[in-house]
Amino acid sequence: MSTDVTERESETETEPEAAADAASRPGSSTQQRQESDKRERSAMRERAERELAESDRTVELEVYRYDPDVEGKADPRFDTFPVPFTKGMTVLDALIYARDHFDSSLTFRHSCRQAICGSDALFINGHQRLGCKTQMADLEWPVRVEPLPHAEVRKDLVVDMEHFYDQMEAVEPYFRTDDLPSGDLAEQRQSRQNREKIKMSTRCIWCGACTSSCNIAAGDEEYLGPAAINKAYRFAMDEREGEAMRDHRLNVVEKEHGVWRCQTQFSCTEVCPKDIPLTEHIQELKREAVKRNLKFW
Amino acid sequence: MAEYYSSFEPQGTRWFLQRVTAAFLVVVLAFHFLLLHFVNHAAEITFAGTTARMSQVGYFATMVLFLVTATFHGVNGVYNALVNQGLEGTPETAVKWLLVVASVLLVVQGVRVAVAMTTLV
Amino acid sequence: MRQSYDRGPVEDFGRWREFTAGMWAWVFHKFTGWVLVGYLFTHVAVLSTATVDGATYTATLQGLEELLVVRFLEVGLLAVAVFHIINGVRLLFVDLGVGLEAQDQAFYAALVLTGAITVGSIPTFLGGI
Repeated sequence: MSTDVTERESETETEPEAAADAASRPGSSTQQRQESDKRERSAMRERAERELAESDRTVELEVYRYDPDVEGKADPRFDTFPVPFTKGMTVLDALIYARDHFDSSLTFRHSCRQAICGSDALFINGHQRLGCKTQMADLEWPVRVEPLPHAEVRKDLVVDMEHFYDQMEAVEPYFRTDDLPSGDLAEQRQSRQNREKIKMSTRCIWCGACTSSCNIAAGDEEYLGPAAINKAYRFAMDEREGEAMRDHRLNVVEKEHGVWRCQTQFSCTEVCPKDIPLTEHIQELKREAVKRNLKFW
Repeated sequence: MAEYYSSFEPQGTRWFLQRVTAAFLVVVLAFHFLLLHFVNHAAEITFAGTTARMSQVGYFATMVLFLVTATFHGVNGVYNALVNQGLEGTPETAVKWLLVVASVLLVVQGVRVAVAMTTLV
Repeated sequence: MRQSYDRGPVEDFGRWREFTAGMWAWVFHKFTGWVLVGYLFTHVAVLSTATVDGATYTATLQGLEELLVVRFLEVGLLAVAVFHIINGVRLLFVDLGVGLEAQDQAFYAALVLTGAITVGSIPTFLGGI
C-alpha cells in the first residue's frame, strides 16, 4: 500500500518548517503541538484501520498525486487509499476520508459539498464530474480520481482555473442595460416566458467541467469555451437588457474564436453537473448571429 | 481575421455557407452515387454514355454546381479542422492561401473536364 | 489550457475509451470528410483523361474497374459517403436545434444505416468482375 510512502513524505514536508518555528521562538508550544499532531494522526490511522476491519465493503480510491515542490512527487503518480464504504458516500466524502485518515497532504478543492460552489469538478473514472455529487455506489470500483484534463495541475487534484475565469470574464458576465425603468423605485420585471428561456443557463456554477471536456477548447486556447458562451447566452437572451446590449453580446460571441469553433460534439452537455443544455445554447447563438447578419442583405 | 467592417462577418458567413452547401450536397451526392453505380454500373461507363449525360444542360449545370459546392465544403472543412487544432498566425495564412489556390485549380480543371465531356461547345 | 508537461494517462490513452456518441460522430465525420475531399481531387484527376480523347477515357475507367482492389475501394468509398451524408443530415438538424436530445440515437442510427446500405450494395459493386 502506497499510503506508507506518503505518510513519511507528509512528515518530512512539515518538519523543517516546524524546526525553524521552534528555533525562532524557543520554548514555545510548537514542539508540543507537533507532538499532539503526530499523536492525533496516528490515532486517525488506528481508527481507520479499525473501521476498515469492521466495514463490510472497502473501496479503493486511486488518486493522482503531483507536487512540483516536493521531491518524489514531481513525477505524477497514483496513490491508492482504502476507504470503508458507507451508504450514500460521495467521491468527495471518500477523498476527505483519505485525507483525514491517511495523508494530510492530499490536496483538493471543496467548499459547500452540495453542488453549488463548483469547487470540486474532478476527472472521476474518465469523466468530468463533481466530487460531491457523484455517488461511490454508482461508479465502477476501484475509483480513479484525477485533476481536470486540459488544465495546468498545481498540486494533486488542484488545477489552475485562471484561464477559465479569464474566458468567463471575456463575455462580461453581468447584467447591463440602457433600458432603465422610469420611476425611481420601479423594478426591472422579466416575463415568465423569458425567465423560462434563460432558466437553465443561469444554473452555471463555474466548475469548469464542460471546458475541460471540450476537445476544441483543448486545441484552441482562444476559444471561449462552452461555459463562457452559455454565460453570454444567459444575458443575450435576457430581454431586459435591450436591443443595443444584445447586439453587443452577439458581437462578442461571434468572433473567430467564439461560437463558430463549436463542433457540436456534445461533450460539454454530457458532463455538465447542472444539466445545462450547453450545445443547444451555443447552436441558438450561432443561428441568432447568422439571422442578424442576414437582415442587412 | 481582424476586420469587422462588414456587417456580414466572415466567420459566420463560412459557417452558414458550409451548412447551405451541405444541404445541397446531401441530395446531389446521393443522386450521383445512385446514377453512376446503381442505374448505370460504374464498370460499364463509356465516353459516349458520359457525353450523352453531360450534354443535357440541366445535368451539366448540376454537375458544375456539384463541383463548386463540394470543393468549397471540403476545403473549408479541412481549413476548419486545422484551425480547431490550434493552427494560427503565419502558418494559418499560408495554409489558407494554399487551400484557396488548390480549390481554384480543382474547379478550373473540373470545368475543363466537364466541357470536354459535352457536345455543347 | 494546454499542458506544459506530460500528464500521463489523463491526457492520452485513457481518453478515447470514454468518448460519448457525439464525440465519436465528430471523429467519424472528420475522418470521412478527409477521405471524401481527398477522393474529390483524385476523381477529377482520373476524369481528366476525357480531355485527351474519348477512347483514353473509356479505356482508363474500364481498366480501373477491372481491378478487384478498385471495386473494394469503391465499396469503402460508398460507406464513407453514406455515413457522411446521414451524419450530415443529423448535424443539420443539430444546427437547426431540432431533436438535440436524440442526437446520440441519431448517431447510432446513422451507423446501422450505413452498415446496411454498404452490405446491401456489395453485389452491385462487385458485379461483372
